[in-house]
Amino acid sequence: MDRYQFEDLISDYIENNLSMNQRKQVEAYLEENPEAKQQIESVKQVMASMKSMPGISTSAEFMNNLNRHITAEKEAKSVVKSTRSFAGYTPLMASLSAVVVIAVVMLGLEFMPESSNQATFTPTMTEQQINDLPALPAKPVLPAKTNDNMLAESEEDSTNYDEDTPVKRNFDDKIQLVGDKRP
Amino acid sequence: MKTMNLYSPASSSIPSLNMADEFSYTDEELIARFQDGDEQAYVELVNRYRNRLMTFVYRFVNDMEKAEDIVQDTLMKLYTHRHYYRNIAKFSTWIYTIAGNFAKTELRRKKRHKVTNLSQMGFDDREYQLPSVEPETGETAQGHFAEKKIQMAIQELPLHFRTVVILRDIQELSYEEISKIVDVPLGTVKSRINRARLQLQQSLKEFR
Repeated sequence: MDRYQFEDLISDYIENNLSMNQRKQVEAYLEENPEAKQQIESVKQVMASMKSMPGISTSAEFMNNLNRHITAEKEAKSVVKSTRSFAGYTPLMASLSAVVVIAVVMLGLEFMPESSNQATFTPTMTEQQINDLPALPAKPVLPAKTNDNMLAESEEDSTNYDEDTPVKRNFDDKIQLVGDKRP
Repeated sequence: MKTMNLYSPASSSIPSLNMADEFSYTDEELIARFQDGDEQAYVELVNRYRNRLMTFVYRFVNDMEKAEDIVQDTLMKLYTHRHYYRNIAKFSTWIYTIAGNFAKTELRRKKRHKVTNLSQMGFDDREYQLPSVEPETGETAQGHFAEKKIQMAIQELPLHFRTVVILRDIQELSYEEISKIVDVPLGTVKSRINRARLQLQQSLKEFR
């Protein structure tokens, strides 16, 4: 065991937290090094001195000050609560009021007579005035266009081809293959 | 508006503690009662912890006024953040963690302030800033002087050594609890405490 290993184990040795084997090693080191023994005593003294240091008490004003802080904290909280309002209502009251208003409107609509719900048309012209209005030009009458008529008008029928003589089309001039060597 | 008086039982729907009960409740039971609205339980917790915290914080920051402010802040935080405590850790672990964090913040702030002040001073001014330790006479004075020496030696320790050695050798907390408070592994805590003791032993040898 060297000095550094010994120093690492000083507290555990003093507090009796070493294994039997480690303890024997430390004691052997202490036998060989009287100054290490002195160091152990010195550390023990430091620990005892720290333990015997007097406790520190709070001042006589401590509780009064704490009481004052708590009172201030409560007051600040109540101010925040009271300022959290919507047009003078707390959020809870405002939302309850809104629900009540919506319920009244919905009930009102439900119980309202049906006739009063329909818009009435009041003519602004007399029957005579309506009759005196100039007649609109006559609309040209077009033949009704049905699917059959439209098919009849077309010159060719795409489905009209002879299956026995299929048209052989030549696409040679139009198709150019990549890498086509033909002229 | 109704306010809590720290000297008289608070009115609450929950039956308040009486003097005999206060001794039988654990810290965890008291905080649970406080979370349920019993403010008398808070008063009991304050009475149990204010001096313990004051000792811890004063040994850490070495300033009575600052230490008292930090303890006030800690106990105010207990009041305002009571519902943040979960019954998975010991109450003492939680409250020491809060106090330790406040103390570290204060020391960092103080350090920044000190650097600014020193940088604004001339060389002659700086000489007057050195603390003077004047020995007193008599047995009490000797004890007082020894305490001062240890206190000065503690202030020389790095913060991560200072916290753990105060919690172990002055507050007498277990290694496991210290490990939870400072949030480092148990082995690291043991090693730091050992190193802190060795450093203190060296410093105090030089004082003698």
